[in-house]
Amino acid sequence: MITLKEGNWRVPKWNRKVFAVAGGLTNYKKFCPEMKLEEQVMVSFRQMLENNDLKLSPVEIKGLVNFLACGNFSDHFQDQLLCEAKVTDYLGLDPIYDIGIKTGGATGGSTVLTAAMAVASGYADVALAVGWERMSEVDTRAGNFYIANAACKDFETRLSRIYAAYYAPMAVRFAWAYNLSEQTRAKVAVKNHLYAYYSPYSQQPGKYTIQDVLDSPMSTYPLRFLECCAMTDGAACMLLCDEKTAYKLTDKPCELFIAGGSHTLRVADRRDMEIPLLPHETPEMYHGLRKKEVQRWPGFESFAAARFAAYFAYRMAGITNPLEELDLVELHDAFTISDIQTYGDIGLRPYGQEPDYIESGDAYFGGKCPANLSGGLIGTMHAVGATGIFQGIECLWQIQGKYDKFHGDPRIWKSFGKKKPEDWRSLQLPDARQALWVSHAGVGSHVTVGILRKAF
Amino acid sequence: MTPRRKITKYTGKPAKVLQSEPALVIEWPRSLAHRHTYGKLSPFFKGLTEGKLLATRCINPECSEHRLWLPPRADCPDCNQPMIWEELPQPVIGTVHTYARVEYAGAGIELTTPYFQIDVELPGVCTIFKGYLQYGTPEIGMKVQACFRTEDPTNTILDIYWIPAAG
Ligand SMILES: [Zn+2]
Repeated sequence: MITLKEGNWRVPKWNRKVFAVAGGLTNYKKFCPEMKLEEQVMVSFRQMLENNDLKLSPVEIKGLVNFLACGNFSDHFQDQLLCEAKVTDYLGLDPIYDIGIKTGGATGGSTVLTAAMAVASGYADVALAVGWERMSEVDTRAGNFYIANAACKDFETRLSRIYAAYYAPMAVRFAWAYNLSEQTRAKVAVKNHLYAYYSPYSQQPGKYTIQDVLDSPMSTYPLRFLECCAMTDGAACMLLCDEKTAYKLTDKPCELFIAGGSHTLRVADRRDMEIPLLPHETPEMYHGLRKKEVQRWPGFESFAAARFAAYFAYRMAGITNPLEELDLVELHDAFTISDIQTYGDIGLRPYGQEPDYIESGDAYFGGKCPANLSGGLIGTMHAVGATGIFQGIECLWQIQGKYDKFHGDPRIWKSFGKKKPEDWRSLQLPDARQALWVSHAGVGSHVTVGILRKAF
Repeated sequence: MTPRRKITKYTGKPAKVLQSEPALVIEWPRSLAHRHTYGKLSPFFKGLTEGKLLATRCINPECSEHRLWLPPRADCPDCNQPMIWEELPQPVIGTVHTYARVEYAGAGIELTTPYFQIDVELPGVCTIFKGYLQYGTPEIGMKVQACFRTEDPTNTILDIYWIPAAG
């Protein structure tokens, strides 16, 4: 049993407030030979500087930048060490200091966390969080093997060489412990592919039925291809500032809180722990959760790293009841099962009742706290180093009321060689004030939980 | 008089062009072998080739974790002291904690697909051990027995596998 001491439970505290003001994305696609990685980063950087209604010119804003956090997951994919030096130079930000960030699938979240720490500490007034991944440098099976190097190389990698095979045992175990049906899993896939249909950035949009998902080819039983994210080429940029600069740059800044948690790379090594409680939870809620023999927490059913990140992020932001106080969430749906498991970790439902978040309708547009209106990883993208930045930007634009501006403008669709669908619909929430996003790595090795709050 | 400098010659193989429109895409071969050490876990991997399953245990009386670790680790994460090796008694019988059927594996897979990956609970072990089931269909709670590839070992984790336990 891992037992943490009082000092470990200290809640992170910014020395001064941190704000997000602008974001930029790219077209997300499987293979983008027409651009090199730094050229793709430039696309997102330009969108961030030019299209976010900022009150200073792009050149003036560049003149304020003090620090870059640069996220990219895998040196294997890029096959270029120190990409961040190329990117910083290419964006014309030399000799501002950049630090490369790597925490697997949570790289984007960790990149935002690093940039936020730079602002909060006073190192920077303006920090750029930028991330990218170029997964098309190898074919899909080789890519799967590269990613499987983020399982334990001595004890796990050789046993499948594909990440779906490390999530599939969780899906089997979760279904056994907490009664999750294949239909509920499929509903997550249907929802996120559908929301991607309304996004010009998306890689895997589609109007599927539950049956389509269940009939799609099996990757690793019980996970089917339509339940899995794809490999993506793409980039994302987010601009963070201190309070004074934020209001100088925009009329619509959002205050940012973000914290992280880590856990062992091997699920095998997760010993039973006491569940850290979120502000709205009581110990009684979990009496009897481990009703089945040999059940442990977090075990194969949950993510301690996500629970820790939420534990700290909610306390940083003063959130006492997430389902009541959050207007939307963007979760790391690399697989349907990882999405569902996270509902318990971040307190959208108590542990053991995760499927109800979908079945109740809460997770849908028009529901109590919609999830992944961006299309998420399953529908829109998983250009790993960019993912946790993309998710934060989609939250930012929702709060700023700019969903339509960034998803409904036919010129954006056209610039990506796509046609805006005739039956496009707006997924803009009427009055989003507070949003959360989860950036997640490995089988739960690193997780950040970020919260954006309307500050206008 | 300085000796004439020799002409520098190109000795490589021209890069294969994969596509030339809209951008030039070339093949960039990568074929490397790493020297990978099993370090202090070497007894475990040698043990597999001898038909033994070795785990580690912390014997520090101050420490709160005295169960076995499998996968083993040389040092205890709780008290940071070196651990000792202990062989599991034969036959090694475990219980399936969860499983997956791998249909589409990544590049370089050394097992024929589809196959079952299983996560095995073992008595007295604080962790859950991942492996594969050589035949049969797993279910949660099923008893399985460890087998070892002592002939033609792979010198990897694939030297241990599981079969349904008799009875
Ligand atoms: Zn110890």
